[in-house]
Amino acid sequence: MKTAQEFRAGQVANINGSPWVIQKAEFNKSGRNAAVVKMKLKNLLTGAGTETVYRADDKLEPIILDRKEVTYSYFADPLYVFMDGEFNQYEIEKADLEGVMAFIEDGMTDVCEAVFYGEKVISVELPTTIVRQISYTEPAVRGDTSGKVMKTARLNNGAELQVSAFCEIGDFIEIDTRTGEYKSRVKA
Amino acid sequence: MQASWEIFCSVVDNYGDAGVTWRLARQLAAEHGLRVRLWIDDPAALVRLCPEVDASASRQWQAGVEICRWPADWQPVEPADVVIEAFACQLPEAHVVAMANCGRRVLWLNLEYLSAEDWVGGCHGLPSLQPEGLQKFFFFPGFAENTGGLLREHGLIERRRAFQADAAARAGFLQSLGVQARPGERLVSLFAYENAALPGWLDALVQHTSPTLLLVPEGRILGDLQRWLDMPALAVGAQAQRGALRIQVLPFVRQDDYDRLLWCCDFNVVRGEDSFLRAQWAGRPLLWQIYPQAEGAHWDKLEAFLALYLEGLSPSAADALQALWRAWNAGEEMGAAWTALQDEWPELCAHAERWCARQAARPDLAAALVQFYTDWL
Repeated sequence: MKTAQEFRAGQVANINGSPWVIQKAEFNKSGRNAAVVKMKLKNLLTGAGTETVYRADDKLEPIILDRKEVTYSYFADPLYVFMDGEFNQYEIEKADLEGVMAFIEDGMTDVCEAVFYGEKVISVELPTTIVRQISYTEPAVRGDTSGKVMKTARLNNGAELQVSAFCEIGDFIEIDTRTGEYKSRVKA
Repeated sequence: MQASWEIFCSVVDNYGDAGVTWRLARQLAAEHGLRVRLWIDDPAALVRLCPEVDASASRQWQAGVEICRWPADWQPVEPADVVIEAFACQLPEAHVVAMANCGRRVLWLNLEYLSAEDWVGGCHGLPSLQPEGLQKFFFFPGFAENTGGLLREHGLIERRRAFQADAAARAGFLQSLGVQARPGERLVSLFAYENAALPGWLDALVQHTSPTLLLVPEGRILGDLQRWLDMPALAVGAQAQRGALRIQVLPFVRQDDYDRLLWCCDFNVVRGEDSFLRAQWAGRPLLWQIYPQAEGAHWDKLEAFLALYLEGLSPSAADALQALWRAWNAGEEMGAAWTALQDEWPELCAHAERWCARQAARPDLAAALVQFYTDWL
């Protein structure tokens, strides 16, 4: 068993005897050091979707599914296509990528993991840390190098996140894909 | 037959758990005619809020509510139609099994903490898929339309306004607590956790041009107060005068009397969840000490509330109030913030009443819970 807060987008839990893939998981602290996790789920048997909330320490049974290393290849509306080392292509719908959509961009080389339920790819997990380039942000704030003051930055795929105020256009940054948060600026 | 409800309360610390669940239980019984059972693992915590409660009784009736001691060795009982676990307490496993096997649908609600953060609206009312086919939902109190509302008894605001308009009633109530306000004194209540900012604020009150009567119900702040006064242990009834500041220690009063105390005061310093909300219903300016959390998680919650509460205030009044709240919660110097607040006083008073009226125009938490159950049926 795993706690709700340990589940990530793309993983699958057995709930009431059915396999549910977690398409999105949001962690929030509620009161007195308690926390809740809001999940967007899809039933792998019926295709039905639902939103649900768990306490962060609620226990769920994980289902271990087959995985294969893949890289992002291209977008063929409405499907995203990934390819493995043997040039097999796997198509996946946008809804099944919701938890990682903010980090999908043309030309990305991250080695991802496609998760299979039977023959079908039900999700793709990105590495915990990825590097992306800032396409736009307001000019850097002089004098602040603490990293505590944040500002909004746009990535090459249009997604936005908060970064340290000293980051500039063209900088490469590390992002934690579990939280979607900026980690640090890196040298290209 | 009216539906039966049961509320589970595990007392973790202070009086918030007991205070909120006791209020809710009373209101469900009194205003909605429901059969309500309150399970509480530490009935002694209720005694201070309702002195009629017998802390040693395993089962008793008060204010139309069946109060049961929640025993460590749980004995099977028939589940109610609606089961509320308050503040993420853990229901007895055997009771969850009984809920699944009782042969009828049982609505299982997790009543969460009060927060003004945006994400709360997105989680309110969502199901939590459970084994055994049980239906559990998360219910979030809150200040926005997409939340479960706030605890507020029917007619509360009207009763409060009538009381505030009745000088004799106010004087009589204060007298019952042994308080004799002097002409021109500003009345301030103080209910807080330990706070390093207290001495600075008291120093500012001492120096203030107009007199203040600080009324301090028994509680965790007394230690800090005693050190500042440099007096031996402060007992109920203790009084002290320092410059323009007069201080009096009050007993810990029952919930209805605490409301009246808040209604009597011109400014209320409150903490946690229950007293924080009651101070808002008092329609007077307030200062909130939020429950501190690991990794400073409480700051987001404080700022989220401020963002809502400050709406409609002039920039100078908003800045002054914000500075005061931040200093109080950071345990920092309060003198400058308190002084700045004085210039904004009339605006803050009018704003507190407007905020109260705005929140009171929304369905209250108990009514929202009952409606949720009706919709679920």
